[in-house]
Parts: sequence; structure tokens; C-alpha cells
Amino acid sequence: MDDPLDREILSRIARFDPPPPDLDDRVLFALALDDLDAQVARLSAEEFTGSGARAGERTRTITFDADSRTVMITVVERPDNLVRIDGWLAPAEAAQVSLRFPEPAPARTITADSTGRFVFDEVPHGLAQLMVHGTPSVVTPSLAL
Amino acid sequence: MSPDDAHLGDLLERARAGDRESLRELVRVLNPVLWRVARAQGLAAEDAADVVQTSWLELIRRLDEIRNPRAVTAWLITATRREAWQRRARSRRDADDPAPYLSAAVDDGPPPDARLLADERDRVLWRHFERLSERCRDLLRIVAQVDRPDYTVIASAFGMPHGSIGPTRGRCLTKLREMLLADPAWSM
Repeated sequence: MDDPLDREILSRIARFDPPPPDLDDRVLFALALDDLDAQVARLSAEEFTGSGARAGERTRTITFDADSRTVMITVVERPDNLVRIDGWLAPAEAAQVSLRFPEPAPARTITADSTGRFVFDEVPHGLAQLMVHGTPSVVTPSLAL
Repeated sequence: MSPDDAHLGDLLERARAGDRESLRELVRVLNPVLWRVARAQGLAAEDAADVVQTSWLELIRRLDEIRNPRAVTAWLITATRREAWQRRARSRRDADDPAPYLSAAVDDGPPPDARLLADERDRVLWRHFERLSERCRDLLRIVAQVDRPDYTVIASAFGMPHGSIGPTRGRCLTKLREMLLADPAWSM
């Protein structure tokens, strides 16, 4: 029943604030994990430091809170266009931590040290999702690295 | 139940059984509305995207609690609104130490970006759009996002009866048209 003017108005309004073009992909990536019973960690803080004027200076610190634990990560830009993720689990625990990527890239799994620290190095930019294994496991929303 | 509810319910049932295409379709239909729900709570874009994801993750975790798959839309919209509200409450509490993404939060969805507003008709439209009631703005933004307006989804998002969405949409659009047609800058 809309005439051309209605359609023009609505199509212009649609362009005012559309969802990010990759929102569906981010959701589907986050949902494609095996452990559906995992607790969901909420992003609770995000902070950028460094001027970013030189490669390797800019870092981003993100904190995720779940009911059972807190995961804090710092994403550091490397000069070779990869990133390093320095992470920390609280309470401290030598838990297994996985970093998932969109298929077909395989997930990486490492074990945190006894103080809860872990490192993923030489990580490519793009989507990734952290999972801390345990009872229960904890997953983050997908991260745009 | 309307056919739309039944359709979304079917998609959820198939997604539950592991059908990825059904999940993709469900996400495609519902994301624009969830996005608007999160934005209407005043969240910045990155936060809104994050809240939408979190709501889907919660849905997957709690699939078994949703006895009636046809209720998936209402469930997701409620979860998104609650998540968004909590996120905003937290950002206000942390206002002494505002992280960049928090200080970017605004109250009523942001204006379109500068590139878009280089278009004169967009600028005129935005000026009049801002004068509409909040309800009209929210409704038109959602209607504009979904290619085939799904009144069931929209009714859930607004807590409005299914039957009143069409007339309200018509009233809001008519009001906007009248303002635009009376503006020489638009009619040029």
C-alpha cells in the first residue's frame, strides 16, 4: 500500500542507523560453539591505551564478567599486523583456555599458569571467541580483534 | 498465533535440531529488531552489537526453557532489553572512569553519519524525523529495517497489540509526509 514517497522515506530512515553489516556473522560465529551449557561472560569494561601513532603501541584491555569468574585480556598490536593476547583469570586457576576462530581455522588451546595468566601470540585480526574450560565453562561474545 | 510466529517457531525447532540454515534465517529476521531494541536503550553501536550477541548466546543456553518455540521472538526481545538496560546502568555507575565506549553512549539513537547527511534530502528528512514522537521514531526505524514488515516481531518489541502496529505505522508515516511536503527544501 506504500506509494513511492513512503518507500523513499523508509529507505532513507533505514540508512540512518542500520545494524553493523557483520552483525549476523558475529552472532552466528558466537553461536557455533560446541559447549552450549557454557556460562556467558558479559563485557564489563573496555579501555584503549597508547597513542596508536606507532605500530605496537596501541593496546586494548577488555574485561568480561561471568557468574563464576572474571576474564581480563589485553590485545597488543604487533609490528607484523598480528596481535598478542595477554590474559588473566580471576580467581587464579591453571584452567584450559581456548581461542576460537571462524572456520576453517582451528581453535587454539593453552593452559593458564597457576596465577591465572595466559598468552596467545601471533593471532590474526578478525573474529575470535574466548572459552575458559571448567565446570561450568565460560564463553565470551565474539571479539573483533 | 499468526503465521509469522509459526514460521519463526519452525525455524527455532529446526535450529535446535542442528540445522544451520534455519538458525541463519532466524538471526537474519530478528537481528534488525534486536539491534533497534538495544539502540533504543541508548547504547553505543559496539555495545549494542555486543548485547545482541549476548542475548543469542543466552537463548542457546536456555533453549530447553523455551517450551513454546513460538515465543522465541518475545523471549529474545525481552532478553535484549534487559541486557541493554543493565549495560547502560553499569556504564552510568562507572561514569567516574568513563571508558571510550561508554562515553559514546547517547540517549536516542545517534544521528546519521556525516557522509549520509551530505545528501540534502536526508538532512531535511532527519530534521523532521527528529520532531516525531519517540514512539513514532522507534516504530519507523524498525519498520524501515525489515524488508517484509513482520508485525508479530514488531508487536513484541513494542508491547503493542498486533492489530495496532499497521495503523500506528500509517499515522506516523502520514505525519512525517505532511511535514516533508510542507517543507520547500524537500519539495525542490
